[in-house]
Amino acid sequence: MSKDSQMRAAINQKLIETGERERLKELLRAKLVECGWKDQLKAHCKDVIKEKGLEHVTVEDLVTEVTPKGRALVPDSVKKELLHRIRAFLAQHATL
Amino acid sequence: GCGLPDNCTNRDAAPASWRRDLIAKKKERKLAHANHAQRPLLIGICTGFIAQRGRYKPGAVTDMSPAGCPHVNGFKVDNWKQNLRVIYQCFVWTRKRKAKSCICHMCGAHLNRLHSCLSCVFFACFAKKHIHEHAKSKRHNLAIDLLYGGIYCFMCQDYIYDKDMEQIAKEEQRKAWKMQGMTRTHTQRHTHHVKAKYSTWEPTKRELELLRHNPKRRRITSNCTIGLRGLINLGNTCFMNCIVQALTHTPLLRDFFLSDRHKCEMQSNSCLVCEMSQLFQEFYSGHRSPHIPFRLLHLVWTHARHLAGYEQQDAHEFLIAALDVLHRHCKDDNGKKANNPNHCNCIIDQIFTGGLQSDVTCQVCHGVSTTIDPFWDISLDLPGSSTPFWPLSPGGDGSALNGESHATGATTLTDCLRRFTRPEHLGSSAKIKCSGCHSYQESTKQLTMKKLPIVACFHVKRFEHSAKLRRKITTYVSFPLELDMTPFMASSKESRMNGQYQQAVDPFNNDNKYSLFAVVNHQGTLESGHYTTFIRQHKDQWFKCDDAIITKASIQDVLDSEGYLLFYHKQFLEYE
Repeated sequence: MSKDSQMRAAINQKLIETGERERLKELLRAKLVECGWKDQLKAHCKDVIKEKGLEHVTVEDLVTEVTPKGRALVPDSVKKELLHRIRAFLAQHATL
Repeated sequence: GCGLPDNCTNRDAAPASWRRDLIAKKKERKLAHANHAQRPLLIGICTGFIAQRGRYKPGAVTDMSPAGCPHVNGFKVDNWKQNLRVIYQCFVWTRKRKAKSCICHMCGAHLNRLHSCLSCVFFACFAKKHIHEHAKSKRHNLAIDLLYGGIYCFMCQDYIYDKDMEQIAKEEQRKAWKMQGMTRTHTQRHTHHVKAKYSTWEPTKRELELLRHNPKRRRITSNCTIGLRGLINLGNTCFMNCIVQALTHTPLLRDFFLSDRHKCEMQSNSCLVCEMSQLFQEFYSGHRSPHIPFRLLHLVWTHARHLAGYEQQDAHEFLIAALDVLHRHCKDDNGKKANNPNHCNCIIDQIFTGGLQSDVTCQVCHGVSTTIDPFWDISLDLPGSSTPFWPLSPGGDGSALNGESHATGATTLTDCLRRFTRPEHLGSSAKIKCSGCHSYQESTKQLTMKKLPIVACFHVKRFEHSAKLRRKITTYVSFPLELDMTPFMASSKESRMNGQYQQAVDPFNNDNKYSLFAVVNHQGTLESGHYTTFIRQHKDQWFKCDDAIITKASIQDVLDSEGYLLFYHKQFLEYE
């Protein structure tokens, strides 16, 4: 494993152990609902199903179609806030 | 829309019987629209049915409980139920995901949609197809998604839904949620008392029947005027009409009454809450003719004698009297009578009651005595009144935050609030007994907001009733569309006292932000005047309610008005 991925794994481990990962997920969930992202994606899912036909579409189809759009639609303010939280967390656990 | 729940994306929450009903209803509709081209049914469909290729037989009304796939039979042997439960308990519905063990056995990654093989102890990522490799080489056909608990069949190449396995998944999830509800409180910023997992609304059999028999649907478009209705003036009753308009457009109150949440226990016909409920029905009935609120007026006269008679009364007094009677006639959530003002949980208290903190500081020992009193409204003094109003310097906390300009020198709402929350020296003639000094000392008193209500009502004291004169103060007070109450909170004051003067405004803290939704104005003099109300519909549309006449108004009309009663609604609501 490269040094980069080693670091990533260590950070992730710390996030999980301290429960911060869960907190960040909850925060992200709330923010994404608030800004309407969840509803937008839900609508997109419906469009995909309409397109592919109910009998033929699989969960994989949805994941493939929806993931890029989902990533693109996350508002900058939400990204900023999470980055801010993660930075604060890393600053606290500087020994990593 | 067809009236079916548009929100069942959580397949775990839907029981099999509801799915049966749902499919049956869809089949009925489909048969009825046989002339139309075949279109896939999408509204309200659980993802569960997307996977049931080959099982979905259009036209036939079959028992549609999830039957999984033939490949699960190999798994359902021996003690499979208990094994599956353990997997759900330890690896799926758990918050403390074991950091060390929940990684891909092939590449060590944590994320990438980790799945666990159901036939052996093997975790692998889905995204990188590691679990697929395992399934192929070992011929283990089933895996479970550790994040959402879905069962994937590699033979069917899709997630499958087996009734028995779904049952186990749901039960374990409910158990885990209950346990987590006890321990969640200290991990959150605000205490959450999670009692049960939120599950989206599902119609009961009876409700489906009702929906079927009543096919007419009412849609709320962005320009529909439902909820707007004039009120006939029964003789100087505009003081009542203006408050009724404000209340019927208070979102939470409207939701409470339109969802029929009032269960009346009063024997007589004089329950004001029931009358309020009726009023909402009238307003949202779609009728455009003005409503005649004679029953409401009669009930008000019965329960608030001081407002009886055909004289013009004060709208603010009516508001307080109305809230008081409604509060008394309500039952709180636990079914107890709303007698104890400290423990009431009725809808009126939930929406309108805030807590006002009063700190009295002894000038000698600096000991502080604190009390917190409930309030339904904040009455603000105006410059020009006989009470001393000290003009504050422009700028400073509060006004910059609420985007008001002092260019015109006009008094702003935040000026009034700053005055309301400033420390006041009580003077040598009003000494307070200090428990620290054990004697009467001079002191200062300061009011701040301890707990903000969901709806904040500001009463601008325009009517002066002093010994010498009775008059109306018509000074224009400029008020904002959006208001941040943070500078007036007790917590902000504490920070200031601890030396943090220039408090960094946290742009992410939305707790104290409010939006204007109703303005009651008084035109005329103390002797003869008239009340009207501006109310907000659909976020950005404003209407003027002048007794029976409703007209469209611009935001500028609203902000330029004098302002007597200002109603603000919290922008973001938290679960308690």
